[in-house]
Amino acid sequence: MPSTQHAYDHVAGIYFPVAAGVFVAVLVALAVLLARGARRRSPGRGEEANRLEAGYALLLAATVGVLVWITFTAETPIDKVVPRPALRVGVIAAQWSWTFRYPNGTEVTGVSTWAPPAAVVPAGEEVQFDATSRDVIHGFWVPGLHYLRQLVPGYTTRFDLLFTHPGRYLGECAVYCGELHSQMHFAIEAVAPAQFQRWLQTRGKSL
Amino acid sequence: MSAVAPALREVPVRGLTSTDHKRIALNLGVVAFAFFIAGGLLALVMRSQLAADGGVVSEAVYNQLFTMHGSTMVYLFVVPVALAAGLYLVPLQVGAADVAAPRLALAGLWLLVCGGITMWCGFLTSGGAAQASWWGFDPLSDLPHSPGSGIDLWLYGVVMATVAEMLWAGCIVATVVRRRAPGMTLLRMPVFSWTMVVTCLMVLFAFPALLVALGLLWAQRHVGGVLVGNSGAVAYQQLFWFYGHPVVYVMFFPFMGMAAEVVATFSRRRFFGYPAFVVALLAFSGLSMTVWGHHMFTFGQVTNKYFSLTSTALVVPAGIEYFDFLGTIWRGALRFTTPFLFALAFLAQFLVGGLTGVILASPPLDYGLNMSYFVVAHFHYTIFAGSAFALFAGVYYWFPKITGVMLRERLGKVHFALMLIGTNLTFFPMFILGAEGMTRRIAVYPRGSGWRPLNELETVGAFVIALATAVFLFNVAVSLRRRQPAGDDPWEAHTLEWATTSPPPRFNFTALPPIRSHAPLLDLREHAAARVATQEAPA
Repeated sequence: MPSTQHAYDHVAGIYFPVAAGVFVAVLVALAVLLARGARRRSPGRGEEANRLEAGYALLLAATVGVLVWITFTAETPIDKVVPRPALRVGVIAAQWSWTFRYPNGTEVTGVSTWAPPAAVVPAGEEVQFDATSRDVIHGFWVPGLHYLRQLVPGYTTRFDLLFTHPGRYLGECAVYCGELHSQMHFAIEAVAPAQFQRWLQTRGKSL
Repeated sequence: MSAVAPALREVPVRGLTSTDHKRIALNLGVVAFAFFIAGGLLALVMRSQLAADGGVVSEAVYNQLFTMHGSTMVYLFVVPVALAAGLYLVPLQVGAADVAAPRLALAGLWLLVCGGITMWCGFLTSGGAAQASWWGFDPLSDLPHSPGSGIDLWLYGVVMATVAEMLWAGCIVATVVRRRAPGMTLLRMPVFSWTMVVTCLMVLFAFPALLVALGLLWAQRHVGGVLVGNSGAVAYQQLFWFYGHPVVYVMFFPFMGMAAEVVATFSRRRFFGYPAFVVALLAFSGLSMTVWGHHMFTFGQVTNKYFSLTSTALVVPAGIEYFDFLGTIWRGALRFTTPFLFALAFLAQFLVGGLTGVILASPPLDYGLNMSYFVVAHFHYTIFAGSAFALFAGVYYWFPKITGVMLRERLGKVHFALMLIGTNLTFFPMFILGAEGMTRRIAVYPRGSGWRPLNELETVGAFVIALATAVFLFNVAVSLRRRQPAGDDPWEAHTLEWATTSPPPRFNFTALPPIRSHAPLLDLREHAAARVATQEAPA
């Protein structure tokens, strides 16, 4: 089962060290050239190296190929939606509230609050979200899962998330959406599947 | 009468109606710099708010601040100042007497001034200035969600500024096409002029999309039924980013061109790998028209992999460009002047922005970082830590040409040191905050998030940048008052603008040296040195 955290960690584990390595390499090269150039009285010749640059361009293109391959293979599974998820949750974003709607009619709503009520989901199982917005574009962002999906009014976007471990995942609206954008938070509590079923039944009855 | 005429020339009104490309460009540069100060002051208020975690301004005001900060910097400062440099320098560098269609360029100056004032008048309306971010995304920007005239004034301002930018781009391209001096073939044009050519091509091809988007938004606000539902929101974003990604390189290439001239001059070498660099520029600008969708990775409605591929492919031309910079310094006999220091910092700091751009071009990473402070850090490293540093390199380098006097070196180095410290203090912590989950455009952040110390550090950095800017303005004032004459060519530079007086006469040149490469003045010096060497050699 693919998890967005895993995909992020996998790709980041390659991209960030490569980026840091390139940065350090360029800076070291620059420092060496500057130290040598500071002592030089008259400049040397050598103003073109077209063949070398063509070869270097090929090397860069190969690097692009490798990076893109890593990205594509990591992206495909997290973009996929499974036909039969363990749970399907509807998400409705609005200025400035979040509503989570469960198949049995249970709803969890938090309105422009810093301490939103938690929407409960089963941990370790595929949870499918059908998310939309009621007014303007909002962003469903769960930093702990490294996942953002923009919600556009008039369109229901479907995505799967895997909450690998039980715990509280804080979420926030990541797309600026008007005056109280700063306060548009939500919380998702991942619990063991059996515990989730008990929660859903008690919540369903109390309605 | 004859005694009055020169004095009349000094009257500001006369200066503001001049069709001399240098006067237009200088006025434009001053206007753009004023907008930079104004946009920077907004940033200081924002930083104060975030250091205190709220309490300085209300959320509604904060939303106006970041909207106007971004709009001012992009529409009124960075793009105009880039094109101002082109208007001033391209005719000189290609050996032309004037820019093509100077009246259009002058019209652009007035459009920019009117547009900027119109946009800022939003603060005077009862609902305040625009607060739909510099993107103005539908449906947030439509009438029910953004009532009030602040956003309409913003829209008119952006349209005027954008039309102005297209006029300047047209003038510069026409100058290159029609007004090059005899001998100035396309592949003998200086590197800066080449960066302006590709910049102007991007302006002319991409900026109309913004006008269309804003036209649709206007119709939606005042007529309705144009941008409807999901397709309306997506259409606006497609159009906006079709403008919005090339504009990122409009805010990069000209400044890279300035840094290239500076690095070549202070390495005492002609710019390395010129043909490869030109090809890389053309490839880069072509690719830049194909990458806009990476701003929409998190929609689930665009072909992410295509845009990921094109965006990552930018590594190839960008890598060539860096290689050529290093190749110029390689074997150089370096002079560590203020412009050279700014150009070096541009290289190092832009690299941070560029490499994090490669990271954001990967959707699995972008899903985690998009819309966070990581992105804010990324683009400030490209535009501020990168382009603005190269701009200052250019200002210190060409100030003697434009004014006839040198800027003070020691004050310049103080300015540089403060900028370097302030910039990294302000923007580096944003990478960390973004990765920790701090989202953009929030006036307050959650209590207990632990983000306050880093935010305080950033705010200190922002005030250090303000101090650096004050030092720069002081330097300009001192240098203009107690004049150290520059002469025609104080730096032993390579390109034609240094073959005329400082400042250049109304029609730029009385005579031109032979043009046999992209560094004609360096050719002259090398020729003279070779002649001396042969004369001194024993018979």
